[in-house]
Amino acid sequence: MNHPTDASGSEKVAPTPGAAPTARLETFTYNDAIVRMFLTATLLWALVAMSVGLFIALQLAFPRLSFGLPFLTFGRLRPLHTNAAIFAFAGNAVFAAIYYSTQRLLKARMWSDMLGQLHFWGWQLIIVLAALTLPAGVTQSKEYAELEWPIDLLIAVVWVAFFGVNFFMTLKTRRERHMYVAIWFYIATIITVAVLHVFNNLVVPAGLFKSYSIYAGVQDAFMQWWYGHNAVAFFLTTPFLGMMYYFVPKAADRPVFSYRLSIVHFWSLVFIYIWAGPHHLHYTALPEWASTLGMIFSVMLWMPSWGGGINGLLTLRGAWHKVTSDPVLKFFVVGITFYMMATFEGPMMSVKSVNALSHYTDWTIGHVHAGALGWNGFMTFGMMYFLLPRLFQTKLYSQKLAEWHFWLGTIGILLYIVAMYIAGLTQGLMWRALDENGRLMYPDFVETVTRIIPYYWMRAIGGGMYLTGVGIAAFNFAMTWKSRPATYTETEHQAAPLSDDDFTPEVRPESQLQGVAEIGKKLDVWSTMWWHRKWERLPLRFTVWTTIAVIVASLFEIVPTFLIRSNVPTIASVKPYTPLELAGRDIYVSEGCYNCHSQMIRPILAETKRYGDYSKPGEFVYDHPFQWGSRRIGPDLAREGGKQSHLWHLLHFQDPPQVTPNSIMPNYGWFERKKLDFASIPVRLRAAHYLGAPYDDAVLNDPISVARAQAKQIADELRQQAGGGDPRRVPDNAPPTFQHDVALEDTQVIALIAYLQRLGTDIYKQPDAKPAAPQPTPTPTPVAAASADNSAKGAQ
Amino acid sequence: MSDKKYKDILTGHNYDGIQEYDNPTPGWWWLVFHCCIAFAVCYFVFFHISIYGWTRDEAYSAEVKRNFDKQFAALGQLEVNGETIARFLNEPQWLDVGRTVFQTNCISCHGKQGEGLVGPNMTDDRYKNIKQIGDFGTVISNGAAKGAMPAWKTRLSPNEIVLVASYVASLRGQNLSGPRPPEGDVPPPWPVPDKPADAETPAKPDAPK
Repeated sequence: MNHPTDASGSEKVAPTPGAAPTARLETFTYNDAIVRMFLTATLLWALVAMSVGLFIALQLAFPRLSFGLPFLTFGRLRPLHTNAAIFAFAGNAVFAAIYYSTQRLLKARMWSDMLGQLHFWGWQLIIVLAALTLPAGVTQSKEYAELEWPIDLLIAVVWVAFFGVNFFMTLKTRRERHMYVAIWFYIATIITVAVLHVFNNLVVPAGLFKSYSIYAGVQDAFMQWWYGHNAVAFFLTTPFLGMMYYFVPKAADRPVFSYRLSIVHFWSLVFIYIWAGPHHLHYTALPEWASTLGMIFSVMLWMPSWGGGINGLLTLRGAWHKVTSDPVLKFFVVGITFYMMATFEGPMMSVKSVNALSHYTDWTIGHVHAGALGWNGFMTFGMMYFLLPRLFQTKLYSQKLAEWHFWLGTIGILLYIVAMYIAGLTQGLMWRALDENGRLMYPDFVETVTRIIPYYWMRAIGGGMYLTGVGIAAFNFAMTWKSRPATYTETEHQAAPLSDDDFTPEVRPESQLQGVAEIGKKLDVWSTMWWHRKWERLPLRFTVWTTIAVIVASLFEIVPTFLIRSNVPTIASVKPYTPLELAGRDIYVSEGCYNCHSQMIRPILAETKRYGDYSKPGEFVYDHPFQWGSRRIGPDLAREGGKQSHLWHLLHFQDPPQVTPNSIMPNYGWFERKKLDFASIPVRLRAAHYLGAPYDDAVLNDPISVARAQAKQIADELRQQAGGGDPRRVPDNAPPTFQHDVALEDTQVIALIAYLQRLGTDIYKQPDAKPAAPQPTPTPTPVAAASADNSAKGAQ
Repeated sequence: MSDKKYKDILTGHNYDGIQEYDNPTPGWWWLVFHCCIAFAVCYFVFFHISIYGWTRDEAYSAEVKRNFDKQFAALGQLEVNGETIARFLNEPQWLDVGRTVFQTNCISCHGKQGEGLVGPNMTDDRYKNIKQIGDFGTVISNGAAKGAMPAWKTRLSPNEIVLVASYVASLRGQNLSGPRPPEGDVPPPWPVPDKPADAETPAKPDAPK
């Protein structure tokens, strides 16, 4: 048995119990080099992910921090932060844990060193590509699935062909007959993530850097949150539970509390988790039955989640005195505690009436950071401090610095989540507050933003502390690495290969019950779970049942969502986007506007008072991908069409505070300077047409001319609204003869205005109305507009 | 958790030195799990199968009706015309309702006090599209100036249109300074409401020109 502070060199492996003590013992070593690589990458990406997180957190408190540069805006950097935190930081941590523990639990070296290398470098390449493409605005705009299709293909190859094959082949060549609970969780992870990734990322490519989801509107939203929620389940929960089941008993040197609890909570977790996705879409245009399933399965998920937590914490019985002195256990205890907190909070937030308040607010942000920083982060750092002496075969450089890391991290998380809880509740309550006469108490949205700015500062301080802790860990890591031996000792282990000769199958126990019907006895025998022991030595059967659990549950929700027509009643007046609007929408997607603006008005009184009639499922049938969003840092835009003048939008993009004082939106000054890529419109339109948008032949044959005509019309209207002149900003030191490089009708802002003016307007049109440009209703009182000399200038 | 509660008998499993106890799953865990399942079943049956449940839309419609009654029970359904708009000029309580509508929808262009921003100043004596008080209703309903002023009839109820029109009309003569120069002509003074209001005037006293 290991003592937690022993270096790995001292490990001794007993021959398999029950194995005949023959000379058939095989000698093997473990591949720890690959674990060292993954662990190093974990820490490096942690620094990157959290630095980006801190930067965008500061942008909310201090919007000028985007410096007017496209690649520094919140909308583009937030996906980089989430992807780096999930796939780079947590992902590499998961791989380190799996490569280290699997070999030891199965008494087998990873099947292929080469596949391990391909897996490692392939994954890092994916992350680097993410870091290059996301700030460039290349995105599918589905949360945590933003990466475009070529990178998605790479992910599928690396995950399945390199990682999956290597893992399952190691399982096949194992020398330990039964699979420990950690391995069950790894199997569930590998299978389910592959399924989720493939089915959420089915797209129609339109070039190397752009694609359209094959699903539209309601169905796209459903698939996305089936994926998004289960990314939390099978990327951030199951592998970390596996990590916990290996490293906690190892570090505490105590037996796992309950084998039977492991079985019960594993299967209930895997089966129930997969249903819960629709709780991200309460009160949206998603059919109500799906929303209900999402809620009730989330409630049922509470105990299966806690099963892991209590099995972890109760394993520490008799080892609590070690917790006070060992940073490894400290990290684990706090990590598991945050897991239990977050998995209680999750079911609570999934209750519809709670969600009506919490959704779109910072409460969700607080919740996910309790999970990510508390559970994923602290489990990872606990594992890291456990592994450092073993992998680098030396002493940890400084126990004291590890203590500092622990306390900075713990206080940092608490500051962070408390700030977000206050901000979320404050904003949620302000949005819904009605006065005694039934009117909105805070009708001006920006008022609900300025109120929470102090908490953004508090959050930034908490996050900064956490990041400082990680910086200290990186230093500790580097110093430990420096004192490594010149060459690592590779300990040799011995075990017999599995053979049918030297093993006795499980015996079905007899029921001790007296005077009970046969079925009762059968149930009694079944509940002893003797059969599960059998499954544990049959990896194929185990994997198949895990896959069935996950897929059957998914199909129960997916099939009705796609097949029942009444889920998305069609609205005759809803027409496809015009070519120009489509181009504008693609800019909206590319800029990541969905990171701050929802397009989904819920049937809640305070909400329809603020934004207009609630959104209907039939309004989104041409939305590939959907843009419902999940957070309202800015107001909802589902009925933005016709709400503001073109001129207002132009001035707003130029510099939001000039029309909305105290706005924290970054400025998008380049929209009115950059040329719209008209040449790319035909391929966009063909993709939309291929996905079912009906267009006239006239539009299909010459979409560019159609787009240009609409652009001309909007530009003309803009000039009229501006009193005749070009409303764009003139540089400060421009000569009097200054001319803009790009004509107003050729700029990106025109396409964006076309799209925004269309949003949510179709249901008010006559079914036969043409889907052309947004036609302003003719003014019934044609008063000659007094020449408002450049009103744009006036507004500046 | 006292150790005595569990017998801590080892299963005999051993993986890389990790052993497992054969302890039962805690009773409270099963209890809460079963309660959650029971809740889930009851919830689904109540809302989606039984005749007693209600849908999201039903709940919403009831709420909208309650809210309408609360706000406008005393008014009933108003018609958007000059007479109705003038009626509320001296009723501060209703002008305040109009003010909320204005704060929700209009301030992004007309400024927080109506002093003008992208859209014209509403507090001076000049108007671009208003010749008589009834025009407020038409302009708000249908928009004006080629879409610079959006049409609000699909977003606001007739009552809200009337009250916001009265509110905006009541701002006349405050002469707050805004970023835009005066625009349009000076229409004749608004008609005096049929029903004279109380002594107080709804709008703040004018700042002399």
